[in-house]
Amino acid sequence: MIWTGILILFCLIGVYAYYRQLSKGLVVTNMRDYVSWGIYISNFVFFVAISLVGSLITAIFRLANIHWSTPLTRIAEIIAVSAITFASIIIIVDMGRPERLVNLVAHGRLQSPITWDVIVIGTYFFISLLLLYIPMLPDLKILNEQKNIKPGWIKRGYKFWGGFWKGTKEQSKISRRSIIILSIMIIPVAFCIHTVTSWLFATTYRPGWDSTNFGAYFVSGAFLVGAGAVIIAMYVFRKYYHLEKYITEKHFDRMGKALVLLAFLYLYFNINEYLVPAFKMKKPEEAHLTQLFAGEFAPLFWFAIIVGMVIPVIVLLFKKGRKPLPMFVIGIMVVVGAWFKRYLIVTPTLLHPFLPMQDVPQSYKHYFPSWEEWAIAIGTLAGALLIITIFVRLFPIIPIQETITEQNEKNEGK
Amino acid sequence: MSCNCNKGECNGGNSRREFLLTGLMAGIALAGCGDKKTPFKTEGDVALTGEKVKLLSVDGEVIEVDRAYLKPVPDLPTLSNSEERKGIAGKKFVMVIDLARCKNLKKCQSACNHMHYVHPGQSWIKVYSMKDSEHSAPYWQPTTCMHCDEPPCVKVCPVDATFKRQDGIVSIDSNRCIGCRFCMAACPYSTRVFNWEEPELPEEIADQHYSCETSIPQKKGTVGKCDFCPDMVRKGELPHCVSACPNGVFMFGDMNEDSVTNGAETFRFSELIKDKSGYRLMEDLGTKPSVYYLPPVHRNFPYESGIENQQPQDLHHH
Amino acid sequence: MKENKYLLLFLLFSGILINNKVIAQDDSIVAEEIVKLKYYNSKNSMQFLILENYQRTRKKSEPLVNKKFQLYLDSIQPETLIAAITTNNTGKAKSFLPINLKNVWEASATHKFIAIAAGKEAEPAAAIEITKAKIHLDTTTSDGVRSITVTVSKYENGEWIPANEVEMKVGVLRLGGILPAGDEGTYTTDSSGTITVEVTKDSLPGDTNGNFLIAARVENNDQLGNLEVEQLVPWGVAVKTGKDFFSQRTLWSTRFKTPFWLLFMAYGIVLSVWGTLIYLIIQFFKIKKLGKIHTTR
Repeated sequence: MIWTGILILFCLIGVYAYYRQLSKGLVVTNMRDYVSWGIYISNFVFFVAISLVGSLITAIFRLANIHWSTPLTRIAEIIAVSAITFASIIIIVDMGRPERLVNLVAHGRLQSPITWDVIVIGTYFFISLLLLYIPMLPDLKILNEQKNIKPGWIKRGYKFWGGFWKGTKEQSKISRRSIIILSIMIIPVAFCIHTVTSWLFATTYRPGWDSTNFGAYFVSGAFLVGAGAVIIAMYVFRKYYHLEKYITEKHFDRMGKALVLLAFLYLYFNINEYLVPAFKMKKPEEAHLTQLFAGEFAPLFWFAIIVGMVIPVIVLLFKKGRKPLPMFVIGIMVVVGAWFKRYLIVTPTLLHPFLPMQDVPQSYKHYFPSWEEWAIAIGTLAGALLIITIFVRLFPIIPIQETITEQNEKNEGK
Repeated sequence: MSCNCNKGECNGGNSRREFLLTGLMAGIALAGCGDKKTPFKTEGDVALTGEKVKLLSVDGEVIEVDRAYLKPVPDLPTLSNSEERKGIAGKKFVMVIDLARCKNLKKCQSACNHMHYVHPGQSWIKVYSMKDSEHSAPYWQPTTCMHCDEPPCVKVCPVDATFKRQDGIVSIDSNRCIGCRFCMAACPYSTRVFNWEEPELPEEIADQHYSCETSIPQKKGTVGKCDFCPDMVRKGELPHCVSACPNGVFMFGDMNEDSVTNGAETFRFSELIKDKSGYRLMEDLGTKPSVYYLPPVHRNFPYESGIENQQPQDLHHH
Repeated sequence: MKENKYLLLFLLFSGILINNKVIAQDDSIVAEEIVKLKYYNSKNSMQFLILENYQRTRKKSEPLVNKKFQLYLDSIQPETLIAAITTNNTGKAKSFLPINLKNVWEASATHKFIAIAAGKEAEPAAAIEITKAKIHLDTTTSDGVRSITVTVSKYENGEWIPANEVEMKVGVLRLGGILPAGDEGTYTTDSSGTITVEVTKDSLPGDTNGNFLIAARVENNDQLGNLEVEQLVPWGVAVKTGKDFFSQRTLWSTRFKTPFWLLFMAYGIVLSVWGTLIYLIIQFFKIKKLGKIHTTR
């Protein structure tokens, strides 16, 4: 309850900050004409990245017939759904004229990558929702059959959403088929959502963004941060709901190994992304890269690389590193590193335009988010956590039916 | 008739005197800037009132003209949004900026900011202190919107709020802009500015009907930029920056007429670009700007004469 | 630009403009109020006056808006009032000559225009003296050489006589200016009041029929004021202004002109994905229906 209270408090502060922004304009942020995109956009990219985890755990593992991940699927899906919800919210927050959102439909232009992003995010949100809901039908039935535990309206909710599930053979068959189709479909859509988001940057000429590597770079980064988020969630739920029986040390061990692979993958794309332009040092790139490697942004840059990638890889290579607690710490490092990485992708580039930054007030030449920006960014993060928290209060975080079935199958197999 | 009449005359040792003199000139030239514009209205359609006024001709005869002509600049018919989006048929606007004539006076900037009520601190026209490499010479480079023929900003706009008109102008519809600022990220010339807060406007301007051609009144939460002043062109006048510059740096014209003018002098565009090796900024990006630059050779003013006008925080840039 | 500067200096010290300078001495700012009166004669027919009023400090020049003036012809009397005018937002006001001044206008070859600022009736804010003038433009083509001849005459002692030493621009009327037709920027009339310009600029673009306007313009002459005459000639190259610019399907076109490849790709992807999703929704309702059948059984 304290936890929920804190989250609600953060959300309310965020809402207040947004109220200020709405009444005064984006001037309450510290974004200006050069840094016209700030932490709202980096937060958006972060959310989109986190949301990719849904497809990773649910779909890829499911299709690869990897069964150990079954207890994690719902965690992954709810993270995806809440992250994508707040990705949409933060992008609306970033708009100068949020009330004109309808123009995207009324005057939508198919040539703009923003239109692509809106379509693909909407699609991904819908698929994620289905992928959360359909596998939950049997569990809703179980919940529905429980007596006198919840207030009436919640019970009615269970009945409305899952009352029709009887677990007949036909129903199971259709549902299983639907889940397989969704699992296949969500993979390209998930790749699209992150690739298209990367194109918001890569379709411009700016140094640091003008890269053909960007799609793959973003997708791999999303895989890493998503896996990190799942590890944190695994640890917390296991501890809080005493799910040691379902989320075992073996799960942590395997997620640890997966994380090493993903961190290596992301490191690979990072090296591509920075080393190749650094080898050439074209004039527009030079200022940007030197700022990252040794300048103003160097502490953040090396923090994101070392804490977000290198240390996790080293620690997780050891079996002892893949125990729950160290994994939890590593998960946090990965996620925090990833958040700052997104900041570094957005802001430094904007501070290195082609023409020099001149003839503007001094404040236009630097960027550090204002309290309103921090409050809104933190508010959205808290909001995402709040959705997850409320979800786990209402629904089982471990897919009951699926896990039972699988354990039965396993036992039979023995 | 040559705009290069003082080739090499500027590099004497008497730069201080030269400087004072040119400063004085600037003031005088500005006073005379009205002379450059022509009140002989020849182009565009006038919103006729239908009411005739009798007046005396040169020969002492009585002639009739429409009441609309009683104003120094006759009113123009109000344009619909779709007409403003299409632009002026048969025109292809072009600008030539002669770097050899610029001494960072920033009259262009202040006139532009004044006429468009640009937010204090922001400007649609910037004058950069440029120095391309260690041993190359510094020079002043005014930049407007480049009105590219392959505009990166227009490509990325999700709602057609910024668009390319048939007369070559890249315009903004502030009534449609959603404020996503993708165009600002896409523009390699950093020409776009954002209305971060409610613009400070005189009441009569704020109440005015918004027009994509005048770009006023600017609106909170939308993007603004240089619009090549099509409203002035329709009146038969030159953009504010062109007429405000006492040194004739800006030359504006119509590519289809093969002519550009700074008001005082008019050149054949193709000849001018050929004779003076005109170029465009960042040609390699493929944006195809409508703004051409003439290189800063045989300069009218030494670079140093512009330093006093530089913003304090931009000093010692090189 | 030097040339230009000297020209401006010359203009300032010559008698074209009689400026009334009100010098408001502040501790630091020196502001000058300037009133300029100009006479225009367009195509030997329409004539009008333009008054400009602005304030100049060392750094800036700002138009003075909503200032009231009275214009008089020759003498300051109620009968010779031309008009009462008010400056607009650019600090300018315009006036024609009313028909009741016909007799005064015809009575003399030279006239004085006087501007009186409201509230400062003691002395004129500005005054100019103008001699009636006419300007004629002719074109000739011989041996493939095109020439423009312009003649300026002024009214003196009851007859039209050639006006010599009149400087003017002659050329093609273009957006915002006159593109010189010959090799010179300006021409000055000889003792017969004539100039002849050989057109040296070849294959200049005209309108869709190859026509363009040529014009001769006398600017701020101290005796004659501003004169202009123009004529349409078929000397240009016909310019085709196709509409194809707007009908192009490109990435920067409007939403109504999206490239076909993009339309196909986008709709193809969206329809296939959402088609599948709709199929899944139907499947979901099937599950729901099955559940209900089960219950009723």
